[in-house]
Amino acid sequence: MIRRGSSGTRRRHHHHAALEAPTRLKSLPGQIRLERLDNGLTVCLLTNRQAPVVTSALFYRAGTRDEPAGHGGVAHFLEHMMFKGTALYGPGEIDRITQSLGGVNNAFTSHDGTAYYFNFAADRWTEALKIEKDRIERLTLDPEQVASERQVILEEIAMYESEPWDSLEMAVHERLFEGHAYGRPVLGTREELLATGGEALRDFHSRFYRPDNAVLVVAGDLGDDALDAVERTLGTLPAGAAVRRGPTPADVLPTSLVRLERRKGEVARMMIALPAPAGSHPDHPALRLASTLLGDGRTSRLQHALVEDEQLCVWAAADLSEGLDASLMTFAAEVVPGVEPARVEARVLELIAEVRSRPPSEEELERCRQMAAADWVFGHEKVHQQAVSAGLAMAIFDLEHLDRHLVEILATSTDRLLEVADRYLRPERGGVVGWSLPKAGAA
Amino acid sequence: MRVRVRRVEGSPVVAVRLSLQAGAREEVLPGQSLVTGRMLAEGTSRRDWRRIAEESEGKGMSLESTGNFESIGVSVDALAQDWELALEWAAEILLDPKFPADRCAWTAKQAAAELESLADQPDVKTAWGFLEQLYTPHPRCRPVHGSVESLLALTPADCAAFHRRAQAHGILASVTGVVDEDAVRDRLTSLLGAAPSDVEKYPAPQAPVGLGPRHVISLEESDQAHLYIGHLTVDRRHSDYAALELLAVILGSGSGLTGRIPTRIREREGLAYTTYAQTTAGSGLDAGRLLMYVGTSPATVEQAERGVVEEVTRLVADGIEDAELEEARAYLLGREPFRRETARQWADLLIEAEEYGLPLDDFEHRKAELEALDRPTVEAAARRHVHPEALRVTVGLPE
Repeated sequence: MIRRGSSGTRRRHHHHAALEAPTRLKSLPGQIRLERLDNGLTVCLLTNRQAPVVTSALFYRAGTRDEPAGHGGVAHFLEHMMFKGTALYGPGEIDRITQSLGGVNNAFTSHDGTAYYFNFAADRWTEALKIEKDRIERLTLDPEQVASERQVILEEIAMYESEPWDSLEMAVHERLFEGHAYGRPVLGTREELLATGGEALRDFHSRFYRPDNAVLVVAGDLGDDALDAVERTLGTLPAGAAVRRGPTPADVLPTSLVRLERRKGEVARMMIALPAPAGSHPDHPALRLASTLLGDGRTSRLQHALVEDEQLCVWAAADLSEGLDASLMTFAAEVVPGVEPARVEARVLELIAEVRSRPPSEEELERCRQMAAADWVFGHEKVHQQAVSAGLAMAIFDLEHLDRHLVEILATSTDRLLEVADRYLRPERGGVVGWSLPKAGAA
Repeated sequence: MRVRVRRVEGSPVVAVRLSLQAGAREEVLPGQSLVTGRMLAEGTSRRDWRRIAEESEGKGMSLESTGNFESIGVSVDALAQDWELALEWAAEILLDPKFPADRCAWTAKQAAAELESLADQPDVKTAWGFLEQLYTPHPRCRPVHGSVESLLALTPADCAAFHRRAQAHGILASVTGVVDEDAVRDRLTSLLGAAPSDVEKYPAPQAPVGLGPRHVISLEESDQAHLYIGHLTVDRRHSDYAALELLAVILGSGSGLTGRIPTRIREREGLAYTTYAQTTAGSGLDAGRLLMYVGTSPATVEQAERGVVEEVTRLVADGIEDAELEEARAYLLGREPFRRETARQWADLLIEAEEYGLPLDDFEHRKAELEALDRPTVEAAARRHVHPEALRVTVGLPE
């Protein structure tokens, strides 16, 4: 809307308010502008002219954890349907337009949210806004398209179930978070998919796909008119999202190390999962450094012992997720054929316990800090990566979470690391050890 | 020795790539390139593997040595302030490896275990069958690992011999990032000496002949069937390569689920989650392949095969539409800035440009090359290189 200002010059009336935020982050390159439009849409502009490209990424605070009972997988199903037709764009047309403009698009669903992104050359990125607007306003959900896409997802489920690691990981998550949404598969089950149709999809869409439940990040080589472009398109959408359930910790977790075994393939694969605090918890950064100490790089304790020295495993790794309700610390290893799986399990548990009994020297800890810092830099070289990190942080936590987390990881002392190790690296207090064992060894 | 250096603004990093231009396509013993490449970082005259790992990780560097189909080499990604160390360590690892026996035995055993693990993945197992069907007896017919038996038979002497002879094929180097180009060039020149003069190059590999038209792989555990259809096409330097890239986008390697094959197989018939098409898959010094993939239910695999064959036949018989060509061209040109975003991407691009003697780093050249291709030219390339009557099929089916 244009109005004439008191000075007589033409001024744009801005339907947005600047949010308090730093103009620069330590954790990401570029200059930041954070705004909230009148309809509640949070907009983060990350100007970074390293290449003539722009990523536009829209995050909805709606994922598997927000699904209604009986319709598991609806968040992910809807993500697929967002490419299958709107009033303005027929089925497949969003992909076709993206391609004709030389761009790429994709989307992903997690337990905590769903994201849609477009990567375009800097002179044409606003096309993404028009598409996002129509997907919010006028999604078609044609019954034939719903039925066809359901078949595609059933194939997706079959694909993951055939992959040894994917299927083991899903089984371990399900057991650890039994009764909590994090234990449910993002794709849903076959039965749930068959019970989910246009009505459930429409309901989920109308409850959560609203500007006041979304975060838009536009990153890259942005002009001065970027915010105006956002406001002209997405700023006209009405608010009205349902209130999302707040952080809901898992109330029932295993109280001992629960075992899970399955037979698949010819190689033994192990995953140990321990409950960890939500990504916003003050213990999370120090636990992240513990994960680096245990599983990142050839000098990490798991790799050094299990792979390089004792040669029991082909590879070994540790990881820490970053969830809204809770997180998950995992230790995974693939066993060298002929090595007794029980030996590997015992050794991994010993190495986890050793973090407490054999604390890292300052030199070892400093190496972990260097690796964590370098991993962060190398993981955020591309504009697309920067946009995704910023968007996830804002959709689940807040923008400052990125800096806070990185700074705290790098400031973690041995004492602090020991404190969190004592609290969380305790498999005997509860966790899951999952094995995918060779079929050949079955009785 | 050929060296490319480029300053790339952005994150404060440096990417170093050094390689010797012989790989699995030249090896005498299957798996020799892979193990020799990995052994480069397992110890030099000056440092053992442990010290190399501790010192590089202490600087937050990612240091990796690899052996692949066309080369063996080392890559180092480091913070820009450590550029000189990154160059020194990369050169030390490339030129002065010691191949200690205990590490060689472990590296080979580890690769053998990896191979067994890969064989547990139904799509990978089927893809290996497809390579065998297309390339036998060319070395591309097997995984770069070779076989469990060939890996476990490799010795440090085999690695040392391959490393020495690979030097006769030349060194390629690329360094990119927030660096002083002249300083880097000077330092590299002093670090990388001349190749030994008393070794011969490896002979060219045997030409591919392939096996029969149809190959069925039995999959012990899979809920899905995996379908690979195609045949050999052209090498990376072929004058029709760019036209085939456009045809690949039209068939199904573009953005999202565009292209004739994903549109039909996934969007229209709902048969698959993963389906795509390529026309120059694996093209390098040797011919790549036309490749159409569908992961589908065993009950619909015949329908999927029929659909793919019909689409390929239609492409050659009826040609392409102007709008399809323009879309494909716009897509390939639009991707170019995304291939040049980071120092690491530039380093890989420059190595590839040097390896094939092509101006891949020159955007204007790329633009002119793609814009010169009109519909009759692209259709003629399709007739020359896409042969529906010669399609070979590998299908992985659950037992």
